Amino acid sequence: MAGRKRTGTGCETGFEKGMTKQNSDRRRNSHKRRLVSDPLGPNSEIGRKLKQYYDALISDEVPDRFSQLLSELEKKEKLNTPRQAAKED
Amino acid sequence: MTGTPTFRDGLLAAVPTLRAFAISLAKDADRADDLVQETLVKAWSKQDSFQPGTNLRAWLFTILRNEFYSQMRKRRREVEDAEGTMTESLSVRPSQESSSDLADFCKALALLPEDQREAIILVGASGFSYEEAAAICGCAVGTIKSRVSRARARLQDILGIEGEGEFGPDSIAAQATNVA
Repeated sequence: MAGRKRTGTGCETGFEKGMTKQNSDRRRNSHKRRLVSDPLGPNSEIGRKLKQYYDALISDEVPDRFSQLLSELEKKEKLNTPRQAAKED
Repeated sequence: MTGTPTFRDGLLAAVPTLRAFAISLAKDADRADDLVQETLVKAWSKQDSFQPGTNLRAWLFTILRNEFYSQMRKRRREVEDAEGTMTESLSVRPSQESSSDLADFCKALALLPEDQREAIILVGASGFSYEEAAAICGCAVGTIKSRVSRARARLQDILGIEGEGEFGPDSIAAQATNVA
């Protein structure tokens, strides 16, 4: 994979494999197959309950701490790398 | 370029679904939020390794999952049964308490082994393909498929749901109608 950058701690192991363009066709096809016999589809009670469970979690109000955290990270980055930022401009 | 507003926005937009995944893994709302926080910090520091145009959500899920398992390993070393077993139920948010049906489902989900629970959540709830779920978990697609299938069978068993004829003509017809 040309242009792939150093990946650090290995969190990405196997990740790119599934996300390449090559695989998107295969993904689409597998999606089609799932529509035919999807054991977790809308027709399955477990599938419905799973989505109900997850939707309830997702609709939960998000605390401010995450937005604040990202603002701090952004601020810190600007303070720590002023030269780099100048170069990039 | 680092720290673009787009990357930050992407992270923020992913928070609700990251929290839902984290709760499903950690079974505890506070711990889940700590996991999400750690995930955001890691993602920020590793943003150069993210390839724009690829699936940011899947990338974040991968980081969160790795963080969860590395914390678990650390905990197991530290605690070594001193505290006894952890509470065996997924925490139920106040908004969910009204539905006992949902509470039953949470309990059933909590009884699944971790590998099966994460697989069925990724594929059945978070909307990832089997291939994406396999990439997130760092295993083969076939492994994910078998975990999902075992998880589903176990949930049906616990909840007393009769085996559903997902291969029957009626179900295919119903799904075709739903899709159309």
